[in-house]
Order: sequence, then C-alpha cells, then structure tokens
Amino acid sequence: MASFHGNKINPSRFGLGQLKFYAFLIPLGLFMILPIVFIFSQSLKPLNELFLYPPTFFVHKPTFENISRLLSVSDITAIPATKYLFNSLIVTVIVVILSLIISAMTGYALSKKKFKLRKVIFEVNTIALMFVPAAVTIPRYLVVERLGLINNYLGHILPLLALPVGVFLIKQFVDQIPNELIEAAEMDGAHDLIVFWRIVLPIIKPAMSTVAILAFQMAWNNTETSILYMSHETLKTFAFYMTTLTTTIGNNVAGQGLAAAGAMLMFVPNLIIFIIMQSRVMDTMAHSGIK
Amino acid sequence: MKLTKRRREALVGYLLILPWIIGFVLFMAYPLYFSFYMSFNKVLITPYGIETHYLGWSNYKDAFLTDPEFSQKLFLFLKSNVLMIPIVIVFSLFVALLINQPIRGRGIFRAIFFLPVIITSGEVVQELFSQGAATIPLIEKYGIVTMLQDNLSPAWADPIVGVINQFILILWYSGVQILIFLAGLQKVNTQVYEAASIDGASPWVIFWKITLPEVKPFILVNLIYTTIDLFTNGFSDVIKLIQDNMFKTDTGFGYASALAWIYFAVIFVMLLIIVLFFRNKERGVPAARR
Repeated sequence: MASFHGNKINPSRFGLGQLKFYAFLIPLGLFMILPIVFIFSQSLKPLNELFLYPPTFFVHKPTFENISRLLSVSDITAIPATKYLFNSLIVTVIVVILSLIISAMTGYALSKKKFKLRKVIFEVNTIALMFVPAAVTIPRYLVVERLGLINNYLGHILPLLALPVGVFLIKQFVDQIPNELIEAAEMDGAHDLIVFWRIVLPIIKPAMSTVAILAFQMAWNNTETSILYMSHETLKTFAFYMTTLTTTIGNNVAGQGLAAAGAMLMFVPNLIIFIIMQSRVMDTMAHSGIK
Repeated sequence: MKLTKRRREALVGYLLILPWIIGFVLFMAYPLYFSFYMSFNKVLITPYGIETHYLGWSNYKDAFLTDPEFSQKLFLFLKSNVLMIPIVIVFSLFVALLINQPIRGRGIFRAIFFLPVIITSGEVVQELFSQGAATIPLIEKYGIVTMLQDNLSPAWADPIVGVINQFILILWYSGVQILIFLAGLQKVNTQVYEAASIDGASPWVIFWKITLPEVKPFILVNLIYTTIDLFTNGFSDVIKLIQDNMFKTDTGFGYASALAWIYFAVIFVMLLIIVLFFRNKERGVPAARR
C-alpha cells in the first residue's frame, strides 16, 4: 500500500494504480465545472439562442454583443458605473477584513479559552445560523435606522460583520489544534497575542480562507443594504446597480441578454477571489504540524 | 487586584468575543426578539410607523389550520431534505477520500471540488436552476421517474423524484463539507495506515476500521452544516412563502414572523435529533470495541 505515503500534493510519477481514482474524479469534476462554463456561455449567446427551446448548454455563435450593450447602457445613466464599483470595493474589502478578524477571535476564544458563557455562546451562534434571514429584515431596518446608519457607508458594513457561519467554521478548526501546542507556547513565554498570531492563525488558514471567500461573496453580491438602507443613489453598490440595469432597462426580451451579461460580470470577481484563495484552502492542514 | 490565571484567561476570552457579541446583539439577537414578539401580533406598516394589534397564538394557529400551502410545503420540503442530507454527506466524504489520495493533479481536483462554494451562494445557482441546467435529462428519458411513481405511494415518490431532479444541485452543495472532511482525513496519522496495511488490512477494512472512526466528529459537523445550509438557502419553498407573506397586506409581517419561527423550530428539532442520535452512537462505539 505504497499509496498512503507522504503528504506531497502531486506525486512525481503517474502510475496505473491511480487510474481508478481518475475514473471517478474526472466525470464528477466535470459536473462541478459545468455551472461556470454555463454562466460564461450564457453571457455570450446571441438573443435567438437565449430563447431556444429546449435551451442549449453551450453557445453556438458567441458574441460580445450582450456585454458591450450592458456597458453602453451604463454610460447614459446619471452616475458613472465606476462610482458604484468604488462603493462595492470599499465595502467588500472592509467587510472581509473585519469579519475575518472578528470570526477568528471569536472562534479561537470559544474553542480554547475557558470561561463560563462559552458553550452557551457557541450554541446561540449555531442557533442563529438556523434562522431564516428574511424574517429579520424589518427589525434589522429599525436597528439600522436608530443607529443613524441610513445613508452611511457603515450601514453597508456593520450588519454583515457578525458572520455566524464564520464563527462556526473557525471554531471547528481551532478545536483540532491540540491544547499541548498552545500550552507549550505559553510555557515558552508567548502571551495571548503571539499564540493567536503565530500558532493559531497559521493552522486555521484553510478555515480563514474559506470564511474570506464566503464573506467576500456575501458583501459583493449584497443588494439588500443598498435597497433598504441607502436612499442616495451615490451610496449604492455595484450589485444593486447591476440588478437595476437588468430589471428596469432590460425588462423585456432584449433584457435577457443584459441579465446574462450582468450575471457574468458579477460572477467574475467571485471566481478571481476563489482562484487566489483556494490553494490556501485545501493545502495547509497537512503542513501545519498538527497530527 | 491580582488576577489568577483562570480569571485572566476568562477575561481575555470575553475581550476576544466582545466585538462579536456587540454585533450579534444589535443585528441578530434584537431583531430575533423583535420578530418573535411580532409573531404574536397583527402588524400593519403605515406611513406613520408600525401599528401592532395583539393576537395571541392565532398567527400560529392560522399557519396550520387555515393556510392552504404552509404545512403542505413544509412537510414536502422536510421529506426531500431527509433524503438529500445523507447524499450530500456520503458524496462529500467520497470525494474527500479521493482527493486525499496521492494522485497527479490533486491540487487541481481539490480546487474544482471546492468550486461549489462560489456557485451555490450567489445568483449563479438561481440562474442555472431556472434554465433547467440542474436536471439530468437521461433519467427522464429512461423512465425512471415514471417507474418510481408507479411503484411507490405518491407521498414518497414525489420527494424522491424531487431529489433526482435536483441531483446535480446536491453535488453543488458539498464544497465546504468536502473541505471539512479533507481536514479530518489529513489529521489521521499516516503511520497508522502503514501499520494496518503491513498487518494485512485491505483498503476496505482500513476505511471502516480506521478512517471512518477518525472522521466521525467531522460527520457530525457536516450534518449540522448541511442541514442548516439546505434549510436556509434561497431554494426553500417555505422561505419563499415566508417572504411572500411578509409584504402581503392581509397577512403581513406578524404572520410571516410566525411562519419563520415555526420553520426555525422544525430545523432546531431536526438538528437536535441528529446530535442526540450521534452522541448515543459515540458512546456506544468505544464500548463495543472493548
């Protein structure tokens, strides 16, 4: 059973014994890529292909018409698209960084620090995960209004920060770090900050990268805060702008092409972040020194 | 005052979670409390603010007794999820095992199987679903659906057909689960595997006797994650119903809140059953081994 050796990512040789794994991995892998192919192919379809029945998966005569129409439409609106893009970038960057810090601190404390409420708080966090987000829309609006965050950048940011999924995932990963490792570091005189920064964070990198991806998507694709909390057009985000473009201007047959192009444009940043982060996601547990 | 070690540790702990607590209280806990309160009221949103009339339990009664859709949709959704959750778990464990093998191009496969994370949470999956890209045309062609409908009572045939129709969708819901399993698999000491194979254990035996017990805690984590993920994503018919009710004038936010709380209770009970079932098994296994 030589195949159980080592933690190298790619073995140097390709053996026949690996063939049986490929038999499963390649077809399943193709299924996983399909949606991405689809979203690109859809945005390149000319109108007559978009309305084919039964719908086709791949584009036959690719055209950039949808995308160029989308961009030209955005030229004639009063506020330049770059303004929305700028808002989205600021909001997304801040949300990702802050929610990472908060989730990591909370997950670490809930896993390794002993204090009375920690079990209760983790359960409460898990319970919060279960709640239908739509049901708290109205009360959340009231809170945001009372905090004076209407028409304020913070209104985009603060409601997204307490990310229950993040705390849940990070705590599960921190649980895997043996207490001895932390105790040994403390014995050597490392205080809390150093333990957290030098030991915990490197080990939970996969979880952190996952949370970063999730937080990015949540912030980037978010239209709710723009619709509910922002009445000044200049404060709204790119995701909101895309939905208005595709619903108001494109609410007709020709709009389907705009919608497909918009979906593609919204999706590309997600894909980029994913590509940047994924190597960290999948590959660190084996090298992190915990076994 | 000098702090004891334990005191200090607790203090640091509280300090670390303080930002989370503030955010949570403001944007989760208070809104939840508010919606719970509203679920006992008839809520009217007027230009002058929110008007409430206390109704007692009648929103909850209406949900089951007068609403023609709610209980039916809830029940159907519950049944299809009971079928979907094990499929997601088994599939993600299977994939995690495969991409934990030392094969060429492993890094690429890992990336590919993690892709669902960016597919399922966005608009993308909505788009795909509306285009019918998430079904397998082969199954309909070979009459599996009609075969099921002929042989099973409609009460079970419908959710099973639903699962088949959404099969690809199920596969797309497994990104984070695969990651969690992979982390669990990589924790297993490779020397244990080597020792077992030297002793003549087949890969099949190794899987059941070593791998599975090692990843067991991760199965529970994944069960919880999957349940929550499936129940709270935008695909749930029940959530759509709740959202529809929220801005209807005759039912309104109070009624929608009551529905949301019932739905929440269902998820909660389901997770409780999973956790209890698992804890019992956990206790049972070491005893059996001895």
